[in-house]
Amino acid sequence: MKRFFLPILILMLAGTAHAKGNADKGKAKAAQVCAACHGADGAKPTAPDQPILAGQYPDYLVKALADYKSGKRANPIMKAFADQLSKQDIEDVSAWFASQKSALHFQR
Amino acid sequence: MRNHFSMAITAGLLVSAAVPALAQQPALAGDPKEAHKKIAMCEGCHGIPGYKTAYPQVYHVPMLGGQQAAYISSALHAYKAGQRKHPSMRGIAASLSDQDIADLAAYYSAGHK
Repeated sequence: MKRFFLPILILMLAGTAHAKGNADKGKAKAAQVCAACHGADGAKPTAPDQPILAGQYPDYLVKALADYKSGKRANPIMKAFADQLSKQDIEDVSAWFASQKSALHFQR
Repeated sequence: MRNHFSMAITAGLLVSAAVPALAQQPALAGDPKEAHKKIAMCEGCHGIPGYKTAYPQVYHVPMLGGQQAAYISSALHAYKAGQRKHPSMRGIAASLSDQDIADLAAYYSAGHK
């Protein structure tokens, strides 16, 4: 019994360690930085090769933005925008887009 | 003078070699029905609700249903070319033909629930 406790505790901590984004603050920031291409709610990008963000998992959006910012994911356009976002901004805009509705859905 | 001229030609050749490769991607028509034979590799992660990657970082694998076809295609081509680094996705994308990528992009983008 005891040996199950530590892994479970670690999992619980891992779940809470992530700083939660504030969707309202994210909405305001997204309007300045993201909306021109991805749409105000991230549901209607202006070009076909730009992703829909609305309804995407927030932690995936955080990961993508962090990788654009660090240059690990090489995209000069997204790098320029991600550079305008602080770590907290990234959490906030990700929370905002993840909370919006779009055509995006789980599909096998 | 001659140097500038040859540099311009070299640059022109590089651009003309690179541009069609990028421009070609959306031209291939994808068939969602063909993709049914090819989604086995995708399902193991993207076909499990709420699935998270364990390596190299832990986060939800992205939801693909309803995503824009051209974006899915560009993501897969970027993995295939090594521009995107996720090890599992690089391995899988490397095994896909351009037609496979077009079919998968059509499959995931077409789905509406």
